Amino acid sequence: MTPGTASSAGFPSAGFFDELVRDVVRRPEEYERLGFADCRLVIEVVEPTGEVRRFGLVLDGYDIRSEGEIADLDGFHPEVVVSGALDTWSEMLAAIAEHGFADRSHTLNALSIAGFPLSARSDDPIGRDKFYRYAETLQTLFDSVGLRAPAEA
Amino acid sequence: MANLAADLDYRERASRGELDLGWLRRSRAEWGIRAEPSRIGLTLRDIAVGTYGEVPDHPPRRTMAPRGADIPDDVPDMGYTINDKSEVWSDNVMELYEEAVSRQWSATRDIPWGDLAPIDPDLEHAMCQLATVLSEVEMVAADFPAKWLWRINHDFVEAKMFLCTQAMDEARHTEVFRKRALANGGGLGRATAVVEEFLKVILDAQSYDEGSALMHLLGEGIVLSLFRAGEMIAPSDVEKRIFRLCMQDEARHVSYGTMHLRYRLQRDPSLAEDFHAYLDRGEALMAVLFTTPEVVEPATILAAGSLEAAAALGSAASDVLRIQTVEEYLQRCDRAGLDRRGRMHLPDDLIAGTSGVAPGGVEAGASSPGTTVAAASGGVA
Ligand SMILES: [Fe+2]
Ligand SMILES: [Fe+2]
Repeated sequence: MTPGTASSAGFPSAGFFDELVRDVVRRPEEYERLGFADCRLVIEVVEPTGEVRRFGLVLDGYDIRSEGEIADLDGFHPEVVVSGALDTWSEMLAAIAEHGFADRSHTLNALSIAGFPLSARSDDPIGRDKFYRYAETLQTLFDSVGLRAPAEA
Repeated sequence: MANLAADLDYRERASRGELDLGWLRRSRAEWGIRAEPSRIGLTLRDIAVGTYGEVPDHPPRRTMAPRGADIPDDVPDMGYTINDKSEVWSDNVMELYEEAVSRQWSATRDIPWGDLAPIDPDLEHAMCQLATVLSEVEMVAADFPAKWLWRINHDFVEAKMFLCTQAMDEARHTEVFRKRALANGGGLGRATAVVEEFLKVILDAQSYDEGSALMHLLGEGIVLSLFRAGEMIAPSDVEKRIFRLCMQDEARHVSYGTMHLRYRLQRDPSLAEDFHAYLDRGEALMAVLFTTPEVVEPATILAAGSLEAAAALGSAASDVLRIQTVEEYLQRCDRAGLDRRGRMHLPDDLIAGTSGVAPGGVEAGASSPGTTVAAASGGVA
């Protein structure tokens, strides 16, 4: 295990995703082994108030970049938007923190397979299919929350 | 035909140091190309420069010579039968090839086989039957491209290379499910004539068009959904990893199939009815597969967690998956330029609740990334 080194920001925030993608820098061999990827992805969080917050991630070769909070969704040109209520995302992250990785009912795939409680939506099924093509890379990224020290997770 | 007799005069001249150098002096190929690697290395897209990057719609020759090389007139004709680029090409084929090579995995090394533990015998039976069906169907997706590969003009080499990666992917899928069936105290289950009939239809397809539509678009789309479900209903983290890794590969194959059909139909829209007819037949067979206990019941039992729970659950779990699978298939058909809504060859109860029920029916599938909260949180996938 390689505990996180930077201070952890709460979810959802740009700081959380900045910290998330630092895992690629910490464990480059892990991501290089999975192979390169190419996708513009938005994580969408629907707050209990109905407010929608969106955070951009760019999978670019072996790198993953956090693009911060996205105000102009169309301007970001996402290929796929993974969306769900804050409760769902929080439950997923809590499960990862508890087990060290997503258990079978809390993977990105499992939560989105029925289109609920998460959905993977896209204008273009090729964009949506990238969510499947890079499933292991994305899950490894989110599972890295489980590698952090308890206070950070 | 080229003179295949050894040129003894040349041997004599060469032994005296009189080199021919015709290949050096009379080269017509584009000289001075220096392809620049991108950040991930030197990709096929990087070397698609100058005339080397021009893939002819109708190659003038049928040779194995590399596209862009100088080709003398006396090279033999290889007898390729697929000489129209649109028959095999897709705009994403170079990227998919690179991705396939980069994202290979090993069923021996990358699956934590040592973590398998004994599970309830009914669940082990279900997992082994599911593995049997998958090990049975996977190899056709290697056999089919292999059957057509040697007929494809070598000027479409990037498409041929992608199909080679697919054959490797499918070998690994066949391998990993065979290994799973034998690795935890179970064993292989039962094959079925229905499954074999479907595989035979793909293998016996009269054209690459027909087989690719049946396999890349229809069959592999459904297998992709099955892998997604497998990841969720896996009895342990071992199977979860198997299904997730297979899912990635399968989505590549489906992406090729979708974009290939799009490329094909854009260049010859008159083929649409032919493709509808292929899919009419394929869907009718799929309907039979969906009513085959050996195919359907293992996943239901794994989803429910036990035989008793599966009986209580009935088709509730598979209904969710059915709707998603049909919607994603319809969306891919749409993207390819083929509207299957209203003419799907599935029984009513299999398309109930989907947008396939009527022409231009309910848009239950892909919504715009820009959609609002209601759609975003309403389970649109
Ligand atoms: Fe496969
Ligand atoms: Fe496949």
